[in-house]
Amino acid sequence: MIEQYTITTTPKYNFPQPTIDTTLPQRFLEQSLHSLKQVQRQPFQLNQHTFQQFRILEQRPSKLQLKRHPIPLKPNHQETIIAAVDTSTIKIGETSTGIIIAIRGATIWKQNRNYRYTRLGPFIFHITEENKNQVYSTLERAYFSTHYSSNRQATPHLLQMPTRLASLLERWLQTMLAKTVSQGLILFDGSLTSGTLDTPAQRMKEILSLARRNRSTVLAFSKMTSLRVNGYLITDHLPNHEPPYLLETTGLRFKPPIILLGDVYVARLNKANYAFRLDIDRETPLQHRMEAVEKLLGNDLYMQGYPETLRLAHILCTFTANEVLAMQHFITRKHGIQMINRPDMHKLLFGPFGKGEIYS
Amino acid sequence: MKLYKKEGNILQILSFLNENAEKGDYLLVEDPEAGKALIAQVIDVQFASIPGVLEELLRTLPDGGEPIQGEDIDPLEIAPHITYIQDASLLICKIRATLENEMLSPSSSWLPSRSLSNIKKLSIPMLLKLAKVEGKLPIILGGTKDSSLLTIDASSLDGRLNIITGKKETGKSYLSKLLMVSLIGYKATVVIFDLNGEYSSLGMTADGKRNMYYDKIHALTPSQNFKVALEQLHLNVVMGILIHALHLPGVSAREFRRIWKNLKEKGCLTLHELGEAIRNLNCNQQVRDALSSRYHALVNSGFFTDSPAEATLLEECLLKSKEQGGAMVINLRNTSTIDRQIVVEYVLGKLVDSLTSWKLKAVFLFAEEAHLYLRETYWDDIVTRMRHFGIFTTFITNQPDTVRESIYRQADNIFLFNFTNEHDLDVVSRASRVDAETVRSIARDLPPHHCLTLGKVVRDFPIVTRVRALDLKTMGETRLFFKDTN
Repeated sequence: MIEQYTITTTPKYNFPQPTIDTTLPQRFLEQSLHSLKQVQRQPFQLNQHTFQQFRILEQRPSKLQLKRHPIPLKPNHQETIIAAVDTSTIKIGETSTGIIIAIRGATIWKQNRNYRYTRLGPFIFHITEENKNQVYSTLERAYFSTHYSSNRQATPHLLQMPTRLASLLERWLQTMLAKTVSQGLILFDGSLTSGTLDTPAQRMKEILSLARRNRSTVLAFSKMTSLRVNGYLITDHLPNHEPPYLLETTGLRFKPPIILLGDVYVARLNKANYAFRLDIDRETPLQHRMEAVEKLLGNDLYMQGYPETLRLAHILCTFTANEVLAMQHFITRKHGIQMINRPDMHKLLFGPFGKGEIYS
Repeated sequence: MKLYKKEGNILQILSFLNENAEKGDYLLVEDPEAGKALIAQVIDVQFASIPGVLEELLRTLPDGGEPIQGEDIDPLEIAPHITYIQDASLLICKIRATLENEMLSPSSSWLPSRSLSNIKKLSIPMLLKLAKVEGKLPIILGGTKDSSLLTIDASSLDGRLNIITGKKETGKSYLSKLLMVSLIGYKATVVIFDLNGEYSSLGMTADGKRNMYYDKIHALTPSQNFKVALEQLHLNVVMGILIHALHLPGVSAREFRRIWKNLKEKGCLTLHELGEAIRNLNCNQQVRDALSSRYHALVNSGFFTDSPAEATLLEECLLKSKEQGGAMVINLRNTSTIDRQIVVEYVLGKLVDSLTSWKLKAVFLFAEEAHLYLRETYWDDIVTRMRHFGIFTTFITNQPDTVRESIYRQADNIFLFNFTNEHDLDVVSRASRVDAETVRSIARDLPPHHCLTLGKVVRDFPIVTRVRALDLKTMGETRLFFKDTN
């Protein structure tokens, strides 16, 4: 059994829905503080190439087809709650034994023409080869019942830990929205592809099921896609038709264990020449799917054809350089970690050609 | 605080919100390894260039200018650290001196360690102690920001050229009155060209009672209680008035000199006789007309009299003040431009006479808006020749461009009040004892009654002071139309 730590939470640590199970964020906080305790009195190397890490996870399927006739859409202005969720993670430094990362999630609601947000985090972790298993399994068990653990594949590589932990938080936030939003639209960042390491199929099925139970529809927008038809990206293959419209795809199959829980469309929602991959819960009846997209058109704003609610979720969870400095300041002040600034070997060796290594 | 950059004699210091450094403050940058320290003054406070601040601000205003509403659940309490970083400021500081073995030198040629240097605020009393701004004749100018008093030594005004300048209603007259009464207190002789009649009541308290200076203030109003008998006048003084104030041409001046000498020899040097002599002068009509017009100007000024009983002996007042100290307030209010010039020519001529003959040791002259009565050639005279006689001038003006550049260049002390106009600041920054950045940056933000003191009185360490209040009857208030209706 994992040792339980006594954590005195701050007054700010009050989650908005008292009915919601807050075990996962509590464990996030506990693990965060515990991992940071371990880093004390270690020299701390500033990250020389700070970057935001996002997940791009698509495998090339076979026999993908794009229907030639677009499905025209008409904005439906019937008042509908729109909610979106996104998470972000960033590496803020290195220690002699591991990495220091930060994770934050944001949910946005649009209701009565107003946007509201809840931001959770940042949670700062010191991840080492020694503690990564414990941190990950503790957090996974905290919210997602233990039977997933039996399916759990090898613990992630140290450098994959930021995205895996962020995924855990994102799934939890998605679950909270699925539980709380009624008769609304829930926007996810990414696709409804599951069966991957950080998106177990059962977990995603439960989220979609919860949403359906509350008569909400999940729409997942991918900013980037690698799906191609006849060698062209599906989002580049746009017909000469007045937007807004959807293009339906067929024949999309992935090799197990990866499965698709949604049907894939290409959505061009306004005159901006951008289209996005849109996954809609497969269990949602066809008519409801179109209604959902039309309600989205009628209730949200669009910047470059991308829903504003989702854009805000992304903006609010993204770490700025200022925040990275603040977190480094926090680590130094609160945990007495001594900062060191080792020379950047890439810059040192290659001068202006040394761009630094980038993890994905 | 952390040392960030040094460029020339400018230091850039990173400072955080709780360190609370402001413009005008002094900092001590101590390098323990080098065993010396830099004394630098904050001349500007800017936001530090923190990466990501723009994004941070932008995302708080994504919805057409309306801040997005929401809740931040920040269990680790990172937000105060974000604010801390975001509000970091960059202090632009001017190096004033190097402190080594408790000795100050104006050098800024060495570089303190960026990582080892300790930076702390230097209090004004400590700075004054290090700079040895002290003396036996203290004048308390007022309070500094750190609640200490700025005390200068009266002897640092002795033999010096001073300028008090600032825009209207910032407290210039306040300071000049403070300096005057302090000098009188130390038995100095002070002459004031009082353009607006606001110094006449220096001997009264605000509630109209006599104060300790009452007997030492001699308010002289030309053509009222200040008249001159021709007999008492020295020819040089009269010629000065005629040539410089009344622009008498050379040929006519020669004729006048002859008439004056004749009358003097006959012992009948009166206004009436002078007029008659000019009228009966056997010479060119134009010369006679020129002399006649100047004569009438002298008569019409009302400043000259034939009655010795009516005449006020300026010299007597000066001698009286020589013993106990005193101020001759020459009230030029309600005096026409020509008459004003006549009076000023007379007073300056008389002062030079008295000083040349060592009847007076030295005089502190306070000249308000001097361009309104001082002739062109006097500017240079005052800063060079007259200084050697013992006339130590303080110019008071709200139009700095009316004071000649040579005056700024030679000014020993400048008491600078608020200016917002770039042109005005440019003019003042020509003074050799100040640096343009300091003047431009600090003077612009000075609140009313706050003065930036520059020059020898503060050993070239510019210090901002709130000029202390005096219990004196103020007469310089502007007459207002709506005053009683409010």
